[in-house]
Parts: sequence; structure tokens; C-alpha cells
Amino acid sequence: MRLKLVALLGIVGFGIAAAPAWAHHAFAAEFDAQKPVKLKGTVAKVEFINPHSWIHIDVKDADGKVTRWMVEGGSPNALFRRGVNKDALPQGTEILVDGYQAKDGSNRANGRDITFADGRKLFVGGSNPDEQPNAK
Amino acid sequence: MSGKFVLVAALIVAGAAAAQSKKFTAPRTPDGQPDLQGVWTNVTITPLERPANLAGKEFFTPAEARQYEKDTVERNNADRRDGGAQADLNRAYNDAWYDRGTKVVETLRTSLIIDPPDGHIPRKPGAPAGLPPGFGKPPEGPEDRSLAERCILWPTAGPPMMPSFYNNNYQIVQAPGYVTILVEMIHDARVIPIDNRPHIDSGIRQWLGNSRGHWEGETLVVETTNFNDKTRFQRASENMKLVERFTRTAPDTIMYEFTVDDPATFTRPWTAQIPMKRTEGPILEYACNEGNYAMAGMLAGARADEKKAAK
Repeated sequence: MRLKLVALLGIVGFGIAAAPAWAHHAFAAEFDAQKPVKLKGTVAKVEFINPHSWIHIDVKDADGKVTRWMVEGGSPNALFRRGVNKDALPQGTEILVDGYQAKDGSNRANGRDITFADGRKLFVGGSNPDEQPNAK
Repeated sequence: MSGKFVLVAALIVAGAAAAQSKKFTAPRTPDGQPDLQGVWTNVTITPLERPANLAGKEFFTPAEARQYEKDTVERNNADRRDGGAQADLNRAYNDAWYDRGTKVVETLRTSLIIDPPDGHIPRKPGAPAGLPPGFGKPPEGPEDRSLAERCILWPTAGPPMMPSFYNNNYQIVQAPGYVTILVEMIHDARVIPIDNRPHIDSGIRQWLGNSRGHWEGETLVVETTNFNDKTRFQRASENMKLVERFTRTAPDTIMYEFTVDDPATFTRPWTAQIPMKRTEGPILEYACNEGNYAMAGMLAGARADEKKAAK
């Protein structure tokens, strides 16, 4: 299904196809589908920057050794419009990251799914922009 | 009694019909231009071209529109985890980060293209189509990655301006003699003179082309030429001529239409229509290069792949 969709988008041409293909290529170029990671850590710092935001977390291994990981998310602009701000993810918050590690083996991952320790999904619950009262 | 009721009902219906047929006239700026100012969004899930299974069908019924919206939102859902690791990586971040909309355009058209009536780009046989050669190849350097990844140009940000998967917002500001359009992706402002001056010399080519505007009644008409040979909207040539039309059709709506003409690539000019709806501002600055760690990540990824292959 996914392949079919990508093929379809490819047919309609560069303009519209570039958006999904861009996401596809950028992530496949940066991260390794063969290196899935599940990280549990505490938030050290959040960079709400474009084009992609980065959440820095401290991950403690079984021996108590702490490693800093950087986790990539999407553009923060959409989150800001939904009212997500710097208070949404205070330092020290425990989160779980389900993603894929960088191809070069560094401690970077994409944030495929990010959840709080209690299972709540990070950032879910915002409204879509076309459902805002002022965007009839 | 019932006669009176019928009369009142008839008057209400007649009044509503009259109100509907009365054309909206935009308020005026202090110097007398129709006022297009504000923050607008063109977010929609209506595709540029008509999907094959809707061939011959120009408009949805309201029920069909709701079903199409439901199916599309489900298909777009990046929170799904089916399809294996590669598919999972393709849905690289979950739905919270996206802004791709949940509704079709309010006209209920099945494609953004309104002309040709079949809703398809009239591409010449053999003309370039699809992704450009080398797109997405493992990069030797940043130049091998797309313009979007290099923070130079977002392929749907325009001109012409089309919806993408997030940040579909635009701010229009007017001053005497000028209209400026600030595009959220990827932080470009187009300053358009509307004083009938000629285009710049044809030897000067620009990423966003060169825009000149004028008013035709209630409609702002903007003609753009002088694109460079790298912008290539829909793989068109650098000689593409673009005409955009902005008409305020309701307090919260600008009807945006654009016509693309490039005889080297298309058999005829083609036109798309996208309603832009008023939305909340302000638009957060999309400063792209400063935080583009992904570029270093992609280059490092390519070097790591090479090392692995050499082993």
C-alpha cells in the first residue's frame, strides 16, 4: 500500500511528490532501518528549532552510566500553533523514545514515537489547523 | 395562519438567496486597494491531480467528501506501525508533528486542477516528469541533496503556492504600490510591485522568479517569470510563466488561482484553484539553516554507508 502510494505520488510529478519523498529520503539517508532503538531517558534540553526540533535526553544504562542522546522530531511551527511551548517538556521529564539510530552509529535517533513514562503520547491532543474556530 | 407562515417562509428563502447571490466586496486599504491582508492557510487534503478512481468526477457530493476525508486521514496516519522497519522509518515522526489537514476544499472539487477539466497536468509526451535525476542519492556533499533539505526552496511554497504536509501558512501585507507575501516554508518573502513596471531583464534568473502585479477589479493578478533552471516547478523549464489570481470572496476566504504556462513541458496552460482561509497568526520564523543538523547527519550517514560497503 505504502509503495503504491509512493508510486502514485511519483507519477503526479515533482511538486507534490517532493514533500513525502523528501521526508522519506531525508530520514532514510540519516537513520538506519536496521537499527531500531528504544530509549528511556530524562529530558536534558529541547531545541524547538527549524527545520527539525531535537530533544536531548540522558539515558542511564544498567551500570548507571549516563549517555546523552539527541532525538529528532518535526518542525516546531505546527506545535506552536497548537499551543505547545517550552513548558510542554520540562527538564527532567522521563520519556520513552521508539525510533531508529543514526547510520553513523552516533547517539542520535529519530523520534518515531515518543511517550511519557505513564504511556501518554507526547504532543497528542492538539487540534488540526483546519479545525480551529478561526479557520472555518 | 398557515398562509401567513408560508409567506414568511418564502420571504426568508428569497432573502437568503439574495444574500447568497450578492457578491462579496473586500474592504479597502487606506490607499484604496482591495484588502487581502492577514494570515492565511491553504491546508487541504484535496490532491493537485484527480485520483484515477475519481476520473470524470469533478465534484464530490458532501457524503463522498466526508468519506474521502476519512479514508485519506487514515492513510496519512503516521502513528500506524504496520509495514515493517523501512515503512516505519518512512513515517519518521508521528502525527503530532504534521499539519496536513483533514478536509477537502470547500468547493468539493476532487482536484486542485480545474483546467483542463480532467484534473490532470497536460504534460507533453516525453517531457520531464517525476523526481529529478539523482534525487535522494547518497550525497558526496550538500549539493547532492534536494533544495528543500538544503533550506533553499520548498517545492510547494511557490510561487505557485500549494499545500504540503505542514506549515501551510502565508501572511499578506499591503503598502501603496506593493503587495508582500511572507511564506512560512521556508522563510521567503515575495515583494511584488503593483505599479506596472516591466519585468527585470530576461538574463537575470531567480529562485522565486520575478513577480509583477496589477489589479483587475477585485482581483490581484501577479505574473511571475525569470525563474532559474533549478527551481523547475513540476519539472517545467526556466521559461515557465506563472499567473496567480487572488480574489477575496468572503471575509475569511481568498480564492487563489494559478495558471502555469510552459510550452516546452506542457501541451497547454493549466490552472489550479485553492481557497485560502483566514487563520491565526503570527507565523513563527522558519529559520532553516541554523538548526539543519539533518544535513550533517545525512552526510555522516553516506560516509558510514561507504565504509560499510568497503569492508
